[in-house]
Amino acid sequence: MPISNPLRYDLNQIVGEAGVLPDDHLNRYQMDGFVPQAVVAPSSTHEIQDVLYYAAEQELSVIPAGNGTKLGIGNLPKKVDLVLSTSRLNQVLEYEPADLTLIVQSGMRLAALQAKLAEHRQYLPLDPPYGDQATIGGITATNSSGSSRLRYGSTRDFVLGMHAVQSSGVVVKSGGRTVKNVAGYDLNKLYIGSFGTLGIITEVAFKLQPLPEIERTVLLTCKEIGQVVNTALEIASSQLLPIFLNLFVNGVPFTEIAEPCLLIGLDGQPETVEWQIDQVGLAAKQNGAIGVGVYEATSQRDIRMSMRSFPEGGWASPIVMSKASLRVTDIEGFIHAALATGNDLRCLAQVMGLMGNGIVYVALSGFPNGDIPAESVAGALAKLREAATNVGGNFIVESAPVEVKRQIDVWGPVGRSFDLMKQIKAKLDPIGLLNPGRFVGGI
Amino acid sequence: MADRDQLIAELSAIVGSAHVITDPTSLTVYECDGATQFKALPDVVVLPTTTQEVSAVVKLANRHNVPFIARGTGTGLSGGMLAVNGGIIIALNRMNRILDIDLANQRAVVEPGVVNLLLTQAVQDDGYYYAPDPSSQQACSIGGNIAENSGGPHTLKYGVTSNHVLGLEMVTTDGEIIEFGGSVEETPGYDIRGVIIGSEGTFGIITKAIVRLLRKPQGYQTLLGIFETIDEASNAVSSIISAGIIPAALEMMDGPVIKAVEEAFHWGFPLDAGAVLIVELDGITAGMQSQVEQITEIFNDHNCREIRYAKDDADRQKIWKSRKSAFGALGRLAPNYITQDGVVPRTQLPKVLRRIAEISEKYNIPIANVFHAGDGNIHPIVLFDERDPDQCERVDAVNTEILTVCAEVGGTITGEHGIGLEKMDYMPLIFSPEDLALMVDIKEIFNPSGLCNPGKIFPTAKSYAKLGLETPNHSLPGK
Ligand SMILES: Cc1cc2nc3c(=O)[nH]c(=O)nc-3n(C[C@H](O)[C@H](O)[C@H](O)COP(=O)(O)OP(=O)(O)OC[C@H]3O[C@@H](n4cnc5c(N)ncnc54)[C@H](O)[C@@H]3O)c2cc1C
Repeated sequence: MPISNPLRYDLNQIVGEAGVLPDDHLNRYQMDGFVPQAVVAPSSTHEIQDVLYYAAEQELSVIPAGNGTKLGIGNLPKKVDLVLSTSRLNQVLEYEPADLTLIVQSGMRLAALQAKLAEHRQYLPLDPPYGDQATIGGITATNSSGSSRLRYGSTRDFVLGMHAVQSSGVVVKSGGRTVKNVAGYDLNKLYIGSFGTLGIITEVAFKLQPLPEIERTVLLTCKEIGQVVNTALEIASSQLLPIFLNLFVNGVPFTEIAEPCLLIGLDGQPETVEWQIDQVGLAAKQNGAIGVGVYEATSQRDIRMSMRSFPEGGWASPIVMSKASLRVTDIEGFIHAALATGNDLRCLAQVMGLMGNGIVYVALSGFPNGDIPAESVAGALAKLREAATNVGGNFIVESAPVEVKRQIDVWGPVGRSFDLMKQIKAKLDPIGLLNPGRFVGGI
Repeated sequence: MADRDQLIAELSAIVGSAHVITDPTSLTVYECDGATQFKALPDVVVLPTTTQEVSAVVKLANRHNVPFIARGTGTGLSGGMLAVNGGIIIALNRMNRILDIDLANQRAVVEPGVVNLLLTQAVQDDGYYYAPDPSSQQACSIGGNIAENSGGPHTLKYGVTSNHVLGLEMVTTDGEIIEFGGSVEETPGYDIRGVIIGSEGTFGIITKAIVRLLRKPQGYQTLLGIFETIDEASNAVSSIISAGIIPAALEMMDGPVIKAVEEAFHWGFPLDAGAVLIVELDGITAGMQSQVEQITEIFNDHNCREIRYAKDDADRQKIWKSRKSAFGALGRLAPNYITQDGVVPRTQLPKVLRRIAEISEKYNIPIANVFHAGDGNIHPIVLFDERDPDQCERVDAVNTEILTVCAEVGGTITGEHGIGLEKMDYMPLIFSPEDLALMVDIKEIFNPSGLCNPGKIFPTAKSYAKLGLETPNHSLPGK
């Protein structure tokens, strides 16, 4: 087949034909309307280095990606040339179950990894959004975590070490593979949550957890948001050990319930879980819950799954998805601000609050006639950000239509540490090859 | 230092002359930390009480081009706070206020000089605690803990300091005051707070921290198993972990330690025991008993001679006291000792402990072991007499061999004490010149003048020579 496209030709030379996605797949990787010129999937660290050398030489930007589930996050990109997908680096490199640790390549999907670990009754207790499709590298680069962070922590708490290729092509190791390690600076933390702006993560070492014997979810419904919040805060400050305490307003995934709800995840040995279910029941009653239900193992997976893809999974597809990080005592006020935003914009505002962690997701959808008043939406988001920052929190917009993004900074202000961030970026990626423009302050 | 008097006068103007230490006798208090084999005298010590004072001292140090080093309470075990090139020690003992306790949000705001245990004591009556619990927690400061990313017995289940610190205020190396992270779980941007934690005082002076408080568990079960051999005890550790049990703590003491502890404190341990394992479970009481039974079974499978169960809290405290008193008792075994610190994958414990016994025999240097077995974090205690130069030389060889073994089995050269001065030479065992070059790059961002805690962490040309490696032409700081 004659190759008319010189870029394709060059990339084929570097990674082989199997490593260059067909052009009709490019749209899948579009970011805020920017369609990449090519998507390459190197099959070794060597090939990654070669792609980076090539990109630097050709002055092409490189967007590191796993499976592309979170490419929508970020400010409008400056330049989208090459998407570098880790999807072909998808092997477990080292796994000794009795050590309860493993090293895995970054392109492995979390779901595939969990299946392997389950054979030894272990797992990585992360359940990030789109956890079935998301890759280890993507999860790490976005520090994404889900509901279970209340009990087990977030990605940041599980990473022991990693290898990354810097934009210069140099491969660097940080951390190690043991559960404790304070040798040298903890540079893992730099890459975790860096949204692909500092390097291409190629492998990650994690600590693991044994799978719990059983898992149950309790759903309780109240008339008032305040009652749900109080129940949640009461449980959060008790000696119970829920995996998650998730509040929902304006719809709960997998149910038709319209009232405010609280989903409480519990795991462990049967006696431990039973006792906690009883305690939750008592707290619910005291706080005036109107319904309490317990979900067993089979529906468990569905529940977790639908929370991960909040607010999809049978819900509306959001037009704007945002996330606030707050002190837990500030959540209730913020939820009311979010609902007021929905009223102002005459759209549906749905809320999922991780009550023990102070993380509140707000999804906006259902605009009248499908018209999105970009200016008003941008204004409303600015107001919501203020509601969060006024109480010492912060607010980021995870996805929004391009017209809205043009008018906002999706990350919000970073404060005086920004200068150091810029210097770190300049040191690790001096030519600004990686994911330009998307991160905080246009990094 | 040419203009020492001038410097002292200016420092006194900032913190008051009562809080500037200059006389040689008083300065010796600040010449070393817990790793007493290293000593260096600072030119002057200042004890500020506010962030502004710290900032002013740092600016002054820059103007005079004098090194400055933060010091918590000097319990470090890697020589991290030593003024190796002289200069100003900024002692944070007077910045020891708990500024805010917010139980509803499970947070506290503390100054760096707050002693670790005092924070827990401040909230324990309300049913809360601060989880990171180094064995030195009665003395060490939270600022020091953050600088070293310290762990402790309960790290196994609850993680290290980094997992419990949300926000920091730091005086940067040029004297600016900057906040990182915050009082909420997530803040946008690079996780600079995470990189500062564990940077061993080389990025600036931490002046405030926002930390998590945890709710005290509903119940504990603590048991102690006495084993014939250290091999069997370490296999029991692996079996517990692979049975899917994550205890809150899983600690080991070997024969020599048991003997020393017994002779000092008479806890009633058999003098001929090979090893003692302490296992603590915590959490919800319902269901805990069945885990105790499981552990009992595992212990028995590994020829456990005797199991003691803590019946009540007094019993539990007694067991922990026996563990935490171990270091105190070791003084009986030799005039000097070095607490080594390495980590290995848990399954490698039996092999590594055997290798350490061989190393001990080879160099005729006794080694005792008391350590965080559940994490694979070993603390071989190397016993010697510093008055004997020949022993000192052999001790150095012992240290090198132990750490080499840790690195060889996929482990690391420090799990909690840090690199400081003590382990600089061994960094090439686990990091390539490229890995180290990146660390140097990052250091230069935070500490471009190199005045903040110089001479630590990074290997020198001598280090490479000592390990028989070729010296790389980059990655040595200052190049
Ligand atoms: C008996 C004993 C048992 C121990 N057990 C443990 C254990 O179980 N786990 C463990 O992790 N450690 C343990 N340690 C080691 C030691 O206690 C810890 O490293 C502790 O965190 C040091 O705190 P410190 O306040 O004494 O710090 P220092 O020794 O004063 O300083 C340590 C380092 O921190 C820097 N530093 C101190 N304060 C600041 C600040 N405010 N800003 C910036 N840098 C600062 C110093 O410059 C230095 O580099 C033990 C030590 C002893 C003596």
